[in-house]
Amino acid sequence: MKFWAVAAMSAAVLGAAPVSYQKEVHPILAARCAVCHGARNASGGLSVATVASLLKGGASGPAVKPGAPAGSPLLASVSGANPKMPKVGAPLSPEQVSVIRRWVEEGAKDDTAGAAEETWWSLQPLALVEAPQENGWGRTPIDAFLLRAMRAKGLEPSKPADKRTLARRLYFDLTGLPPSPEEADAFVRDARPDAWEQLVDKLLGSPRYGERWARHWLDAAHYSESHGYDKDKPRANAWPYRDWVIEAFNNDKPYARFLQEQIAGDVLWPAEPQALVATGFLAAGPWDFVGHQELREGTVDKDLTRVLDRDDVVAQVMSVTTSMTAHCARCHDHKFDPIPQRDYYNLQAVFAGVDRADRPFDDDPAVYANRRALWAEKLALQRRLQPLQDKIEFATSEEITALDVSIQDASLLLAHLGAPKTPAEEAEKSELEARRGAGRARRKVLVDALVGAGTYAAAALLEQEMKAVDARLSQLPAPRLVYAPASYFVRAGTFRPPLGPRDVYLLDRGNVRAPKEKAEPGALSCVKGLDARFATPPGDEGARRAALARWLTSPANVLVWRSIVNRVWQHHFGSGIVDTANDFGHMGGKPSHPQLLDWLAVWFRDEAGGSFKKLHRMIVTSEAYRQSSAQREDGVRVDAENRLLWRMNRTRLEAEALRDAILTTAGTLDLAMGGPSVRMFWFKDDHSPVYDYARFDPATPGANRRSIYRFIVRSVPDPFMDRLDCPDPSVLTAKRSTTITAIQALAVWNNPFVLRMARQFAARVRDSGGGAAEAVRLALGRDPTPDERQAYETYAKQHGLANLCRVLFNTNEFMFVD
Amino acid sequence: MNRRKFLSTAGNGFGGLALAHLLGREAAGAPKGRPEFNGGLHYKARAKRVIQLFMSGAASQCDTFDYKPALVKLAGEKWDPGEKVELFQSNPGVVMPSPWGWKQYGQCGKWVSDLLPHTARRVDSIAFVASLISKSNVHGPATFMQNTGFILPGFPSAGAWVSYALGSESENLPEFVVLPDPRGMPPNGAANWSAGFLPAAHQATSIRVGTPTPVHDLFPPPDNGFITDASERDGLALLGRMNHAYAKERAGDSRLDARVASYEMAARLQLSAPRVLDVASESEATRKLYGLDDKVTADMGERCLVARRLVERGVRFVQVWSGADNGFPRRNWDSHENLAKDHGELGTALDKPVAGLLQDLQARGLLEDTIVYWTTEFGRMPCSQGSKGRDHNPFGFTSWLAGGGVRGGVTWGATDEWSYKAVEKPVYCYDVHATLLHLMGIDHTRLTYRHNGIDRRLTDVHGHVMEDLLA
Repeated sequence: MKFWAVAAMSAAVLGAAPVSYQKEVHPILAARCAVCHGARNASGGLSVATVASLLKGGASGPAVKPGAPAGSPLLASVSGANPKMPKVGAPLSPEQVSVIRRWVEEGAKDDTAGAAEETWWSLQPLALVEAPQENGWGRTPIDAFLLRAMRAKGLEPSKPADKRTLARRLYFDLTGLPPSPEEADAFVRDARPDAWEQLVDKLLGSPRYGERWARHWLDAAHYSESHGYDKDKPRANAWPYRDWVIEAFNNDKPYARFLQEQIAGDVLWPAEPQALVATGFLAAGPWDFVGHQELREGTVDKDLTRVLDRDDVVAQVMSVTTSMTAHCARCHDHKFDPIPQRDYYNLQAVFAGVDRADRPFDDDPAVYANRRALWAEKLALQRRLQPLQDKIEFATSEEITALDVSIQDASLLLAHLGAPKTPAEEAEKSELEARRGAGRARRKVLVDALVGAGTYAAAALLEQEMKAVDARLSQLPAPRLVYAPASYFVRAGTFRPPLGPRDVYLLDRGNVRAPKEKAEPGALSCVKGLDARFATPPGDEGARRAALARWLTSPANVLVWRSIVNRVWQHHFGSGIVDTANDFGHMGGKPSHPQLLDWLAVWFRDEAGGSFKKLHRMIVTSEAYRQSSAQREDGVRVDAENRLLWRMNRTRLEAEALRDAILTTAGTLDLAMGGPSVRMFWFKDDHSPVYDYARFDPATPGANRRSIYRFIVRSVPDPFMDRLDCPDPSVLTAKRSTTITAIQALAVWNNPFVLRMARQFAARVRDSGGGAAEAVRLALGRDPTPDERQAYETYAKQHGLANLCRVLFNTNEFMFVD
Repeated sequence: MNRRKFLSTAGNGFGGLALAHLLGREAAGAPKGRPEFNGGLHYKARAKRVIQLFMSGAASQCDTFDYKPALVKLAGEKWDPGEKVELFQSNPGVVMPSPWGWKQYGQCGKWVSDLLPHTARRVDSIAFVASLISKSNVHGPATFMQNTGFILPGFPSAGAWVSYALGSESENLPEFVVLPDPRGMPPNGAANWSAGFLPAAHQATSIRVGTPTPVHDLFPPPDNGFITDASERDGLALLGRMNHAYAKERAGDSRLDARVASYEMAARLQLSAPRVLDVASESEATRKLYGLDDKVTADMGERCLVARRLVERGVRFVQVWSGADNGFPRRNWDSHENLAKDHGELGTALDKPVAGLLQDLQARGLLEDTIVYWTTEFGRMPCSQGSKGRDHNPFGFTSWLAGGGVRGGVTWGATDEWSYKAVEKPVYCYDVHATLLHLMGIDHTRLTYRHNGIDRRLTDVHGHVMEDLLA
């Protein structure tokens, strides 16, 4: 009794409300202690997952004694000069310790009301909320939600930006290009009440829109056109997927269908060639050429290569679609989110029947149908042939092994020797070739004896049948190719088609040498109302991906619908409602406007039917989007990060938008759409191909096309784009960072591309009969002030227009969007 | 206060804000070295900078620093380590002794092969790690691992982490510089020195020593046709004026001020970079020390000398590559076919310059707070591949550290009698990275960056400081 009085008093003296376990204590314990003391990995028997588990304690007794901080080992271990815990990272801050202390003092009450993990915001059902009725500002439900939150903090929104600023903002946002001065003028003059909506519709209808928004999606998918790792080979056939994404945006493919095609289009719409192309999504990431194509079958490193390859696919698919970090459960159950290791390996099992390879398709559906039928025959034949070929390939004996050593030695020495330069080397080469030839002949004799004639005869029959199918295939017109997931393809080196799902096992601590039980195809068990285990026929790899596609796009998948509206919102406003677009788990951010997020998700799913264009329109026609980006002291004081959106965020152009803006301004932009990417480097195919940007010939056809058509190399990024924060294409990039460095300044100031465009821009201005003022108008979309005009004209007069154009490309005004 | 808020406030508490803005960092704060810790982040720093020498292609431990008499004694006999051996591309051959002889050196009596006689004379200032292991037997993933701690692409290089942690000591030069082998890129290319998910400002600046344009875009290309000294000077002045005016109208946006500052820093870089690369200004004796007078050692020598000049001027982390990709003719340490020839050429080209670097750093008092870190992605097998080569060995290989806070003349761990498997105190690169960061005053468990749901570290969830190697 006495204690309660003291506790109540101290809380009163501090003027603080009682500590909430759920809101204050649990997050500290989850973030700092659960790594070792989680529900599923309770070190010393102690789990900090719930109040009950704290009271129960571990091997050394209860961790918490309600009302008695001094008698609570939890507090003793995290406080003091040299706290024992946490073992990893900094000690808890004094504030954090004091929160826990007060909570214990106040009786260690559990305010989670019996709810467990499902209370986490992103896993709760989507709230069916009405837009609030807020008066005096705004035109859309979005505005009403935002205004209510602002007013709760005593803030008011900012004034709208001027029309010229708005035009530039919208053009860059929706098309990734600046408006021409004429286009900006036309909007400024357009006095119709719906002039803004008209402009929005016009830009959403432009093919440039798909080119712009495809880039955001390709960032998230870590799409690139080379494999990465050692021997970073180019992917000549990745681009059809890039074109598919552009077209999908331009044709406003509904989001559910958009995802379904990318996960399992070839299974769900087998007759549609473009649905196969869409699956290029699953092949977008890096691929270990040496591991797949050179390592021998049956080795530990080969298994590791495949586990990591599927890991990349799982991480990509789940981060992009659900904003959950399933990949954190590879070595153990997820430390923070309700994702058991089993879920993770079940997801690996979904992709266990495919590798990344070129797949043939035809634009003509009839030809495509023929081709698919023939490839199905080939697959059936290969499945029968494979065991026979394996018998031959893996036949071994002591003598064969010895011969292998000798044959390989000769091959290595021959490769090392290269073209002989002296008679001695010539002789060495002949000797080695002779040795290798004899070895191979002898090896064949030995293998033949081991394998037996029956096997050869059976294989020969099947090979004959295969040849017959190939002959029929060769009568079809040449196919197109797309780099995509494939369960059957022509073997290259040791890279052999899976022909069906490979077995996937849970791995103890992620170690391929320590397999546990077998995984079955499935998804995340934390999403309620959906079956997390896929009942698919054995051996049917396509059914697994189709099941995942359906699981992801179910109206009940609350993660997916929240995730996508947040992603789109982020690109419009520069920051998401949740500021971690790839992580809606406990380690991610929380929504600044949870009700708005849910309202948008439900609206997008049900009313907009998953139409991106409707979602863009909903967002950019809000008053919030049209606010000025100017700082306000009252706003900064309350919300410096502008989470409440009391103003618009100013953004620096991304690398692609800057390059495209330079091309536009110079009047050189080549708007040709689609097709193979432009290799903006000097290329030499070699053991490890050489990509050299310094030796690029600017006369290369397509050199001035939009940046989305750039050939993106994983191992050697374009130094110009790289310095403008174009992300490492092996990183799943939810949001680009903006850095400003001296090296970046040098790139924009000196890069040959910029200088070339400065000259072309100058020529354009001269051809139009204009001078410095015209250059300013074309670059910045406005007339110079008298002062500026004088400064620019003086400079142009002294040093020529090209130098002025170079300066203009480097101005903050050119590079930033208000 | 939530964790995120707490961390970002703590970051700002390091006094990083002003400098972060000047350098154009994200306002929310890269941590920065603290003066009371001698530039360290979490405790006192023993070292301020690192020169990493990377032997691309896998330098053999049993032909350099890991002496095993058994290989000589049983030369040519069937190799039987008592278990099934799974090699990268071959079946194990016979026991193959090193083509080089071995001698003991220094007070510590370390055995070093005759391939590296100059380096051998510095063993008393070197701490060897003889028991390294790698998670991959493939060049690409293993090279990633030694650089970033992960066998996957997309992670920040150690140099990027150090840049992120400590920032710059120099106003005029980048924090992290890489000097690739002029013969070409190593496996994985520039992704080895990527900033990964860290802000792009932390990626390495690549300097191609000895070429007409060592730094991309440092100056306009000479054939540009319209830029003069005067247009350059007046243009930058005009640009500064316009950018300043734009920033002034939009008060409160630090990025705009940072842009103005970035051109000023760029101008300083234009002055300082050519100077730092001008090895001709070094004395004859110094040039000789690095082997610049000999065709065989001149390239590596020049890059080692440039590395010294860079750290001397405040660059935090310099990575020097010995060897390019694994192609033919052999241009790196991947000696599957003819080890005597290929290791011979690379070792000879490397030995004198590296020894010269150590001696020069010491003479200038720089070795006290500069770490020289010699490494490779994995080792090579004690048995032969074919008749004259060695296959990959991820089970045991050697790296070494010298300088800033490192105890000299010691060897950590050991491989078995064959130099096949690390049996005594085996370590992954995590421990070396943890030690490296420790010496720079950084607790490797507290240098984190949140990416896609995980607080990522250079050392993943591993790593222990190797106390025995600390002076």
